Parts: sequence; structure tokens; C-alpha cells
Amino acid sequence: MNVTRRAVLRGAGLSMAGIAGLAPTRAAFAAGDATVRVGMVLPVTGPGADAGRFALGGAKLALDAVNKAGGVLGKPLELVTEDDQTTNPGAVLAFSKLASQPDIVAFLGSIRSTQNHAMAPDILKAAKPVCFGGTDPTLTHLGNPWLFRFRPNDTYSARVIADYGIGTLGKKKWAVVHSTDAFGTSGAKALTEALGKAGATVALDQGYANQSQDFTPVVLAIRQAGVEVIGSYFTFENDLGIFARQLRQLGVAVPWVGSPSITNVTALKLAGPALYGTFGVADYAEDASDASRAFSKLYRDAYKLEPDNQSSWTFDAVTVLARAINAAGKTEPGAIREALLAVKGVPGAEGTYSFDGNGDGLHGYNVVRNDKGKMSFAKRVDFQD
Amino acid sequence: MAPRASAVPHRLGGTLAYAAFALLAAVLAGALPLSGYALNILMQATTYAVSVIGLTVVLGLCGQINLAQAAFFGIGAYAVGLGTTAWGLDFWLCLGLGLGAALVLGGALGASTLRLGGHYLAMVTISFQQILTLVLVNWIPVTRGPDGVPGILRPAGLADGQRYLAFCILALAAVAYAVWRMPDTRLGRAMRAVRDNELAAGVVGVDVYRTKILAFAIGALLAGLGGGLFAGGFAYISPDQFTFAESVVFLTMALLGGVGSPAGAVIGTALLILLPEWLRFMKEIPGLYLALYGLAVILIIIFMPVGIWGFVGARLARFRKAAPAPDRAGDLVLARAAPGPHPALEVVGLAKHFGGLKAVDAIDFAVARGGVHALIGPNGSGKTTTLNLLSGLYVPTAGRIRIDGRDVTGLPPHARAAVGLGRTFQNIRLFRSMTALDNVIVGAERPDNPAGLADAGALEARARAALAFVGLEDRADEPVASFSYGHQRLVEIARALAGNPVLLLLDEPAAGLNASEKVALTALLRRMTAKGLTILIIDHDMTLVRDVADRITVLNFGRRIADGDAAAVLREPDVIAAYLGEDAGQGGAGRAEAASPRPDLAPV
Amino acid sequence: MDLVPQLLFTGIGIGAVYALVALGFVLIFRATNVVNFAQGEFSMVAAFLMVVFAVDLGWPYWLSFLAALGGMAVLGALFNLGVYYPLRHRSYLPVIISTIGASILLANTTLALYGPQPQVLPGWFETQGILAGGVFFDSQYLLIIGVTAVLVAFQYWFFEHTLVGKKLQATSQDKEMASLLGIPVAGMIMLTFVYSAVLGGIAGILVAPVLFVSIGMGSTIALKAFAATIIGGFGDVTGAIVGGLALGVIETFGAAYISVPYKDALGFLVLVVFLVVRPQGLFGERVAEKA
Repeated sequence: MNVTRRAVLRGAGLSMAGIAGLAPTRAAFAAGDATVRVGMVLPVTGPGADAGRFALGGAKLALDAVNKAGGVLGKPLELVTEDDQTTNPGAVLAFSKLASQPDIVAFLGSIRSTQNHAMAPDILKAAKPVCFGGTDPTLTHLGNPWLFRFRPNDTYSARVIADYGIGTLGKKKWAVVHSTDAFGTSGAKALTEALGKAGATVALDQGYANQSQDFTPVVLAIRQAGVEVIGSYFTFENDLGIFARQLRQLGVAVPWVGSPSITNVTALKLAGPALYGTFGVADYAEDASDASRAFSKLYRDAYKLEPDNQSSWTFDAVTVLARAINAAGKTEPGAIREALLAVKGVPGAEGTYSFDGNGDGLHGYNVVRNDKGKMSFAKRVDFQD
Repeated sequence: MAPRASAVPHRLGGTLAYAAFALLAAVLAGALPLSGYALNILMQATTYAVSVIGLTVVLGLCGQINLAQAAFFGIGAYAVGLGTTAWGLDFWLCLGLGLGAALVLGGALGASTLRLGGHYLAMVTISFQQILTLVLVNWIPVTRGPDGVPGILRPAGLADGQRYLAFCILALAAVAYAVWRMPDTRLGRAMRAVRDNELAAGVVGVDVYRTKILAFAIGALLAGLGGGLFAGGFAYISPDQFTFAESVVFLTMALLGGVGSPAGAVIGTALLILLPEWLRFMKEIPGLYLALYGLAVILIIIFMPVGIWGFVGARLARFRKAAPAPDRAGDLVLARAAPGPHPALEVVGLAKHFGGLKAVDAIDFAVARGGVHALIGPNGSGKTTTLNLLSGLYVPTAGRIRIDGRDVTGLPPHARAAVGLGRTFQNIRLFRSMTALDNVIVGAERPDNPAGLADAGALEARARAALAFVGLEDRADEPVASFSYGHQRLVEIARALAGNPVLLLLDEPAAGLNASEKVALTALLRRMTAKGLTILIIDHDMTLVRDVADRITVLNFGRRIADGDAAAVLREPDVIAAYLGEDAGQGGAGRAEAASPRPDLAPV
Repeated sequence: MDLVPQLLFTGIGIGAVYALVALGFVLIFRATNVVNFAQGEFSMVAAFLMVVFAVDLGWPYWLSFLAALGGMAVLGALFNLGVYYPLRHRSYLPVIISTIGASILLANTTLALYGPQPQVLPGWFETQGILAGGVFFDSQYLLIIGVTAVLVAFQYWFFEHTLVGKKLQATSQDKEMASLLGIPVAGMIMLTFVYSAVLGGIAGILVAPVLFVSIGMGSTIALKAFAATIIGGFGDVTGAIVGGLALGVIETFGAAYISVPYKDALGFLVLVVFLVVRPQGLFGERVAEKA
């Protein structure tokens, strides 16, 4: 299918689905009924706008399902969104605008760690649960009791990359390539630690600045270091695409296990054959479980698009949040918080949620393999700690 | 750049009203029940506005571009952020450190590049901005890298968000007041002079380079202050908040509101922070809002060049009462230099070669104290080059220049002004956005003015006296741009006189004047010499030269061909030949000399 | 294995892109004394036009190329009329701001029309490149280097040996004098903007298969190209070419031997050093004294 037309259709599809999704559910409840409102901070403008659209798509699917199943506490669930402009100050303003509406009972935060950091002081002040997708491990160790993570944090992605590369592929000599942004550095740090614990060596630790136009020096360094396997944390797909292509052009053919960005739709499109045969950790993999297959079917039916982690975590967040509110029996923030902490063994699209005391819901990743552009599920790795 | 829209509220009443208003705003911010959303918006607007006012100084007052304002903002923010968390220091100490760092870095950046100006300055500031962002992101052990710095503390007693906001509002009010008053300080006038006409500013005694560095450093300082307050306000900072894009936002805020006044800065900041909030409804189509924003920037620049405040302020100014008429100006006193052994000016072996062209070729002459000395010669004889060498706009290839016995050969223009050299320009160089009075005050402020002007009142009196001397006292408070050509020339002379020069250089003062204006000029020259002033005049107008000059030096092809008593020189056959051969009499009056570089293109 | 030849090739390839965009800067600067901060967006818009024509509409590559350049010519003309012309009598500062506004406008209009996803544009050649002597010669970079060389030669011929070129030169040197000589100054400036937009467009289309087509692609390149023009000496065509190539090579070697994350800083650092030590650039005319 034609790429661009698909992008346009997708945009139209998402907004249509949004409208279509809300209309019938309203009818299912008595007219004039109050709603239970959940705020959502998402990028609608700026470089993250694309991700924002996926996130909203996932959340709306869950919203629809929750409301069809009777809503929460007998009322329809409603999503109130604010644009964070893909900036940190934007996120703070968006969140505080939502937080100033007293009838909002809980929030969906950002998939970007720094935005969650920026919002954290206001979240503490608002004292209501915030479900977020940023994977910086420190976010759940800030001493902020209201943060609940709906994706596995980077210590897990790093441990899974290390586990798969060493355990399954049997490679000991590593190159770690990572963006020098928040996501890349924290991931690379965790990966280096995990590799050290497992007795592997990091022959090359190479950071790069986002939007680099050329990776020749990086690839040459990898070639010279004579590594057996590459572990990577890339933030932007165009960087990943350029790197992948130059890696192949300069004849580096060692296995490559990458962070989730290596599996996402845009990266596959940009890099094409250069990514064939690579492995990636993915918080969402279609064939990982029944729950993830179910989500996949819903998403494809609604939007005619490949689902990915940008939509799966918001889907899970709305689903689990609704479940917790129902379990709490009231919308008092403390009660919702307790109910979220009590969530154990609940299956979701991303994995099975069991919240620990810090607010981390997931503790493992899937490993997927790029088979000629199709992602095939390879393994699920979960940790107990 | 935009002229300042209005006069400064000198009156105490206005100041008190302003202080009361600021206090009220602070009290309201502290006491009204504000939602978290409102608090955050106000906090952002207040701290940003402080930084934008920094641009009012750099760009508005001094006319220098700075595309790294977000970098200085970030320096202040990181000082407070890292200081209160990683280093465990007191908030106030951190704020001070941030201010110091911004000031020093701003000054250093300015010192290294302000000689270039224009596009180069734009590029260097962008480079600094980019390098700082990369350092913040990559120097993880110190800056904490891209994760940013969470948990930033506020000072004791201001931990509550609204009390802290109240404090920020007071800080903003104080900064705005200081910058509001700045144009009428010595430094502020120097900045405006530099902005309006760098060359003339240097010649009347303003240290152009130092003034620019100060403006740049003050701008950086205010950005640092805004950043430090911002860090305390939001408790979390990360490198992506201080990028080039933010610098562009700061610049747009300043331009939108009006770069000429801190009021414009506050208006622009408030508008650009509120606008995205109001336009949130446009969020369905990504990019639409920012596209309109870009369009708005273009439209504002084209249709509202002085910004919102400049636009509004100009209309408000019409309703303002005229200031009471000042007392009649006193007589202009020109300090007579003590009769010493030295002539007013001594030129020895002076030469200036442009490549192979010897524009001035080893000339000698001296200007005795008192009276008018004329320097004449046909077109291309090297007169204007000599003048530019004398005032320090060119560096001579060889030779010495002594003013009042002091060797000034190596000194920059403003230092020569301090020694006592005043000058006017053939193509008038006034500070066009300023009043006649302000123009002349800048002249009176020349360093080491022997009139010893201790306070603002004395300074103004001196300037009024100088204007009265040239007959323009009544129009002192009018903007100089509205003056006729002849009157502008008189203002330029008054500006030089106010500085009490040992030697006054007049570069073709009769050029472009009509017959009656020329008669008046001759009379004015006589009155100046009557006060004991020494004048070196360059002119094509032989009638004028014959009428006023006591002594004459004649140049031709860069060489001195005659020198001495006026009447005798004009009879010398060489002189007559030079004029008849080339361009007899006054035919060339008013024309630029073909072989001399235009002074307005002259690099310093 | 020796790294130097590979680094050199890549450095020159990237440098050629900078040089191509820098040429556009220099032309506009010479004609109007204004730095066009939206020059990078010309490249971005052209690359998106190319995606629309060649990928979405499936036109032949050469036809899409011509159509995209035609679109750029129109954009250049509109840019002149809307962004520069109304401000032509003001100082450089408002014009800088106006072009910054235009850059925001162009980037976000494209975003609104096409969405934020990066796009793929296939290259001219089927093959990705050739491996010779341990060095991989990327076919697209070879093309970029070739086109840059041809355009530089064309520009030289155009300015030195055609009447229009000479009129353009006269305009850039002294507008008043040019109009006294009967040269249509406004028309010449219009021509400059059109040509400059086309030039930026060529750079964008050539580089798109390597860097992908994204909203931000233009601004990154433009900033570097701007640095290249200053290193080369503002307003000098040879300088822009040499400056661009030098910057590309410095960055690539700096990344290989000093630091990858700081490679951008390195470029800007070189720039600052140049500005302080040799502000006239490598080839700029001597500022200090009249020749």
C-alpha cells in the first residue's frame, strides 16, 4: 500500500474512530449521567505529534471497551486531553491545566521520561495517580507515590538485551551504541551494568547526538573493535535508519539486538532491508500472549494499521485504571492508588501487570526478530525483581 | 531599531504609582487563590519576561543581536538547579553564582566577537547556543545530562508557589524599572548612540566596544536572573528547555511586544505564552498553530516594526502633556586650554597607503591654538583621508599625530575625543532616534570634559547652552530626525561644542547649505573662534575658507603643496595650478572625493 | 584497516551537501546583504515535493525532479515577495527575523499537510554504492559530489560569462548604481531568490535518499551550511564550497578521532575560532583596508 496515502488515511481513521467510538457508548448510559474523567497529556504538536496520535488511538480503544462493558462505577469513562507540544514546559502547563479541573480523577502521563520528570512536582501537588510510559528507571524512585509505569523500565530492556545476546545468541564481546539523550544514556548505562554482571565485555561504548547525519565514524569504530554483537539505544528512527544502512554498507554483519525503537513501524519503513535479521526488545509484540493478540485485532479493525507500543501502553493504562477504579469502588485518589498497587497478574497487551511498591507494573520484555520486514515473536523474558 | 516610544517618568509620583502597582500585583499573586495552571503560566511568563527584558537592553538599546538568550537563561537555571541539589548550596548564593556566570560568559562572548557585529554576531551567538546545549546534554557528571535536574529548591520562606511567584513579580518589576530608566543614564545614552551611529558615537567619546560588551553582559545577566528564578519556580530543568528554538522564542517575544521598552518585553512575553494556550483548540492538526505563529512573526515585522508597545505607545504619546519649559539656557562656556608650548595639533610625516595608492603621503603641518585653520585641496587630494586619520577611523601607515602635545597616533576614536578632539561629518552623523538635546548630551558626556559636569542637571544645562549657542535652544526636545539639513548640521556642531574640544574638526560644514545658511555658518565660526576655540576646517567652498581661515594647508595627490598664512597661500602658483588644473573654485562642493573611501564604509 | 580514505569520502560527501546549501546562502547574501534563515527549509520542502511526485503520484524520477524544482522556483518567488521585498529598505535585523518566521511557517505548514513521519525517497541509482579498495563509495554521495561540481562550474560560467550573470553581479555590488545603469534591480533580486530556492531544492532532493525526508532535515543542514559560508568568507562562492567541504571533513574526522557526541560542537567551535582569529574567512575579501 502506498505509504503516504496510508498516513493520511490513518489520521482520518483515528479521528473518525474517536468520534464513532464515543457516540454509541454515551447512549449506553442514562442521559445526564456524570462521567468519570481521566486526563491525558499527549503531544499533538511538535516532533512527537505522530506518537501522540498513536497514543490517543490506543487509549480510545480501551475507553470504548470499558464503556461497552459498563464503564466505571456505573458511569461512562471520559478522556480529557491536553497538548504538551512535545516540550517539557508544554507538558507542565498541559498537566497543570488538567490538574486544575477537580473532577479529573487520574491521568495518563507522557511516554517521554523528561516530561514526566518535569511534571513530577505538579503531580505530587495534585496528589492523584498518573499512569505514564517513560522508561527512565529513576522515575519510580523519586519518592513520588502517584507515578505508575505501564511500560517496563530501561533496566529491564537492558537486562533482556543482555540476556538474549549472551544467553540465546552466545555472544560475549559487545558494542553499545546509544543516543546521548535521556533515554539513550540511561538505557546504555543499564545495559553496560547488565553485561558486566553476566560477565560479558563492552569493547565499545559509543554515544551519538540525536539527528546525526552520518554514522561512518561510529560504524568504523565498531568494525575496528571486532565485536561479536551490537546492543543499541536509538531514539529517532532516522538516526537508526542511517546507522543501519551504513552498518551494512561498510560490511558489518554481526548480530544486533536493539531497544524498542528498532521494532517500530517508521524504523522498518526507513531502514528497510538494512534491518533484516536484527533483534529488538519490544514491550509490545503481537504474538506474545492472548491479550496482545486481542489488542492487535481490535487496533487493526479500528484503524487499519499495525499496532505498536505507542498505542499498547495507553490501551493498557486505560484498561487497568478503569479496573482499579472499579475495584476501589470510589474515585478518591488514595483509594485508586491502593487499588493500582494491588493489581497483580492482570494480563495486558504489553504483558502481565503486577505492580510493585515503586509503581512499576511490568518487569520484562519480549524479544522479536525482523524477518524480512515482519516482526516475529522470539521470546518473552520476565524478571522477578 | 525602534525609537523609544515615550519619555521616562521622571516625576516621583509616577515612580511611586509604579511601585504601588508592582506591590499590588505581587500581593494579589500571593493572596488570590490561583489554580496550579494559572500559577504555572504566571510563573513562566514572569521569569521569561525578565530574560526578554535582557534583549530590550542588547537589541533595543544597543542594537546588537543575540540569538543565545536561552543559553544564558539556561546558565542561570543550571546554577540554581545544580547548586541547590547537587552542591547543597543556599538558593541566593546559587542565584548569585548564576548571575556571575551569565555576566562573565556574556561579557566574554561579547568581547570576543562584538567587533564583528551584524550577521557574524548572529552566527557566533547561535554557535555558543549550540555548544552550550551539547555540553548540557553530554557532560553528564556535572550537568546530569539529558535527564535534567529534578528537585530544585526554593529559598527559605518562599517555598510556597504563590509566595515565590510574588517574589518573582517584584524582581521583574525592579528589573523593568531599571531598564525603563536606563536610556537616560550615561550608559543608556551611550548604547543608543552606538545603536544609531557607531562611527559618530566613537568620535564623540563613547567607547563603542566597551559599551557593546556592557550591553551584552547586562542582557546575559538578566537572562541568567530569569533562568535562576525559572529553575526555582518549576523545580525541574533539562537541556531541551534552553535550546536555540527557545532563543528564537525570546527574540520573537521581544520584537512582538516592542524591543524599545521593557513594557514591550512584558507584553510580548505574556502574549506568546498565552497564545499557544488560547490556540489549543487548533491542536487537531499538528503544525497548524506553529505555522500561524511563523506567519504572525513575518506580519508583525512587516506591519508593526516597532512592536505592539511601540505602536500603542506612539499613540499614547500624543495625549501626553508637554513638559514645562526649562529655564533659559545659560551662555556656553568653552574652557580655554592653558596656553602651553604645544600647538593644538601637530602632524608629522603622516601617511596612509591603500595597497599601492598613496592617499596621504608623508604630510606635515601644525594647527596653532586659536583661530581657524583650513585644509584644502582638489578632489582626491587626500583631505578626507587625513581627517579620518586624525579622528582615528584609519590607522596611519606611517607618521605621528599629536593633539595638545599628546601623541594620539595609536589611540581609538573615543580616546582621542577624551584628549580633546571633536569633529563633525560631511554627511551628517547624528543619533537619529534621539532628541537634539540627547544628541548634545552625549557630546557633553565625553570623557575628561573640562567643564566638569557632576550631575544630570549640569549636563543638561551644558547641552542646552550648546544648543542655544547654535540657535536651536527652542527645538531642543524635538527628535533630531525632524530637523532640516542645515539644522542637523548645527546640532552636530553643538554636540561637538558641548564636549569642550581642544580642537574641532569640521568636515565640509558648508556642503549642502544654501546661501543664507552659509552666511550664518560663517558668523557661527567667528563666534566660536571668539570664544578661543581652535578649528580645523575642510571645505571646497573657497569663499568660506577665504572668509574665515587664518592659516591654510593645501594638499594635492596626497602631498602637502602649500602651508601658511591664508592670503599668502592662496596666491601661490602651485595652489592656483592645482585648482585650475583640476577643479577650480567651488565647483566640487558637496561631492564625495572620488579616491577617498566613504567614511561611512570605513572600518574602525 | 585504514580508516582515513573512508572518512575522507564521507566527509567530502557531507561537505558537498553543506556546500550546495551554502551556495544558496551566498547568492542571496550577495544580492540583498541578508542571511536567509529559511534556506534549509527550501531543501526540506523540495524533498517533500519529490516524495509527493515520485512516490505518492508515481511519476518518473526525472519528471518529479523537474516538477519539484519548478515548485521551488515558485516558492522562491513567493518568498521574495512575501518575506524580503516588503522589508528591503529596513536594516538586516528585521529581515533576519522575518526569514526565521518564514522558516517556522514552512516547516509547520509541511507538518500540517504531511504529518510528522519521516519519509523515504529512493535514490537516483538502483545500487547503493560500490566497494573499492576497502572504501564504500555511496552512489548518492558520488552523485552529490558530481552535481556540486557541475553547479559550481555552471555558476562560475553564468556569473562571469553571461549578461544576466553580470547584471546580477552589478546588482549585488551596488544597487543604486545598477539601477542608474538601467538594470532592473527588483527583477534581479527576484531572480536571485528563485535560483537560490532551486539550488536549495536540488540539495534537499539529493540528500533526501541518504538522510530521509523529515521536517527537521533542513534546519540542521542549513545551520552547518551557514557555518561553512562564514568559514569560507561571507559572500564568496569559492569560500562557500571550500568551507562546506572543510566542515564536512572536520566533522567526520573529529567524530572518528575526538568525540562523536561533540562532533557538532566541533564544527561550531571551528567557526567561533575562525570568527575571532580570521573573521574575513578563508577567502573573504580583506575587511580592514581598501584594495
